[in-house]
Amino acid sequence: MSKIVVDRVSKQFRLKADRAHSLKELITRRGRSRQQSHFWALKDVSLAIPEGSMYALIGHNGSGKSTLLRCIAGIYRPDGGRVTVDGRISTLLELGAGFHPDLSGRENIYLNATILGMGRKQIDAKFDEIVEFAGVEQFIDSPVKVYSTGMYVRLGFSVAVHVQPEILLIDEVIAVGDEEFQRKCFDHLYGLRRQGVTIVVVTHGLATVETMCDRAAWLDHGVLQMEGDAAKVAAAYLQRVNEREAEARDASAARPAGGHRAVEPWKDEFGKDIGITGLRYTDGDGRPVSTATAGEDLVIHIGYRASRPVQSPVFGVLIRAENGAHVTGTNTQIGGCDTGQLDGEGEVAVRFDALPLQPGYFDLTIGINDEHVQHLFDRRDREYQLIVRRGDEVPSAGLVRLDGHWSVNPRQVGNGEATGRPSPVEEHVT
Amino acid sequence: MSTPAQVWQYRTLVGNLAQRELRSRYKKSVVGWGWSLINPAVSLGIYTLVFGYFLKGTAPLAGNGQTSSFALWLFAALVVWNAFSGGINVSIQSFLGSGGLLTRTYFPPECPVVAGSTTVAIQTGLETAILLGFMTAIGNVGWTLLLVAPILVLVTALALGLGMIVSLLNVRYRDVNYLVGIGLQIMFYGTPIVYRLDLIPETIGPFDTSQVLGLNPMTHFVDGMRKVTYLQEVPTLGNWAGMLVSALLALAVGWTFFGAKAPQYIEEL
Repeated sequence: MSKIVVDRVSKQFRLKADRAHSLKELITRRGRSRQQSHFWALKDVSLAIPEGSMYALIGHNGSGKSTLLRCIAGIYRPDGGRVTVDGRISTLLELGAGFHPDLSGRENIYLNATILGMGRKQIDAKFDEIVEFAGVEQFIDSPVKVYSTGMYVRLGFSVAVHVQPEILLIDEVIAVGDEEFQRKCFDHLYGLRRQGVTIVVVTHGLATVETMCDRAAWLDHGVLQMEGDAAKVAAAYLQRVNEREAEARDASAARPAGGHRAVEPWKDEFGKDIGITGLRYTDGDGRPVSTATAGEDLVIHIGYRASRPVQSPVFGVLIRAENGAHVTGTNTQIGGCDTGQLDGEGEVAVRFDALPLQPGYFDLTIGINDEHVQHLFDRRDREYQLIVRRGDEVPSAGLVRLDGHWSVNPRQVGNGEATGRPSPVEEHVT
Repeated sequence: MSTPAQVWQYRTLVGNLAQRELRSRYKKSVVGWGWSLINPAVSLGIYTLVFGYFLKGTAPLAGNGQTSSFALWLFAALVVWNAFSGGINVSIQSFLGSGGLLTRTYFPPECPVVAGSTTVAIQTGLETAILLGFMTAIGNVGWTLLLVAPILVLVTALALGLGMIVSLLNVRYRDVNYLVGIGLQIMFYGTPIVYRLDLIPETIGPFDTSQVLGLNPMTHFVDGMRKVTYLQEVPTLGNWAGMLVSALLALAVGWTFFGAKAPQYIEEL
């Protein structure tokens, strides 16, 4: 059963300049031909969101995701089509929406919860839970204008999820909270979903979409591009982003080398003896690729240029997740590769078989050290991006794939062992 | 369009918005709530001084047949006038002020305006209590005081209806706010508040003064309020008709207009 049906919804916005803002303007502009400065934030969008599902709206900035969410919430009235919503809606559309800066946290909880349609007694019953979840006990009687951004978000989120909604609409705000709170939020959302709450989120975190959501819709300039299984939609979206990025990269590469970053290190101390000239990726068969695919072979080629012969420099690659977490790293020394004496230009390549990274964005730091790894010849700190697309396998949690081998060894009954002590279970983990 | 029943479902919100308005209005002020009484007291003082003392305005004999107080005669009118002008002004402010809420969450857009109206109603109740206190002090009480309630309800409805129209228009054209200020000032002197209808020229050019002023609904409200409190009389049928028709008409038109146009205007808040 669909909880929310969006039927051929269109929404048009007038650009500000088009509207007279005073009576004088209204009069003096009369008769002058009005330019058509409307734009369609949503064009003929249709989708059905099933009951009890977690649904993601994705797309680049300005694609109409938030507008659609506001149409569902009833804040915007569509110019065409209709939205049918069956159930009580709770929204978390903007940071601190519904908070009055001069009022205390306590007063704001009551105000906000009543906006979301709760009665006084219901709030009384939930009050302690809301405060505890937000973790603002100490400041509950201070005006919210002294709250930190994180506290604002936590309180807003806490109220929105505790009003017993049937439908919860969330616009990318959770991202503001710290890691711990985000995890708490997602746990809570997961719990709500199990209770049958329909959740619609606008998000840029594709990992969220893939791991948390059942279905997704991808919007581009107000037009629905794809709707369906969350992982598939996310993969298609990511591919489009990659294609555009590759185009942009090609376009900038085509520019004269004068303005290009690759020659700049010659100005600095870095790269004076030997420097990094660029980076490219190929797949296992040597075909150039702009993104990697999880579970498939990847070769990273590091271009170098040496102005004098350098003996056995050590090339290193360091991989960080988007949030800065250090994932892993390796270098030619660890890999047991002696680069020998390098002079002039060339490439050093490192091949990863069946790339164990999970789909997502990673930053690469590339460095060249001397043979004792003491002197740094050149280093590009997080200058390169490695985008890992989803392969054939279902992505699991986290940043890397851990290949475990599972086995089940049931205990033999009637084996003479009656001590109740568990017999050792054989386990194979590699 | 939200029906009154839908707004009623959100009564807790209306209450909270009203509370928020009241609390934040006097936050960080030393006198606090006192200001809500100081303002009307000062204007009452000024009008009494200027119109009663300097211009030698007199009040008719009160209902008890003994006292005559220009200040109280004026006060009775100001209570109902303040309910009217305050109600219109607060609508504009509270609708604008709720912009942050209305664009981010959904609730009937009538709520903040009704909440603003509620704060003024509370203020009016307070002023009425003081007025009745004075009336009791001079021994001028009677059953007609019961009629204060319907009069105040009707003037609140009138202000709410008009307030809904101007608060919405003000979102698009900020001139409305200023025009309302001027309009209220003209209307104040177009209503027999600081002068007596029976002491001004009977005709304005070819028109009959009382008929012209009778077109102004506030004339009936002020007249009615004075009759039930100061004069201990029952307002005339004409008074009742003027009050009832203007209030219901304003409320019906205001509510319909607001309901039809608000969703579109909210996007511009």
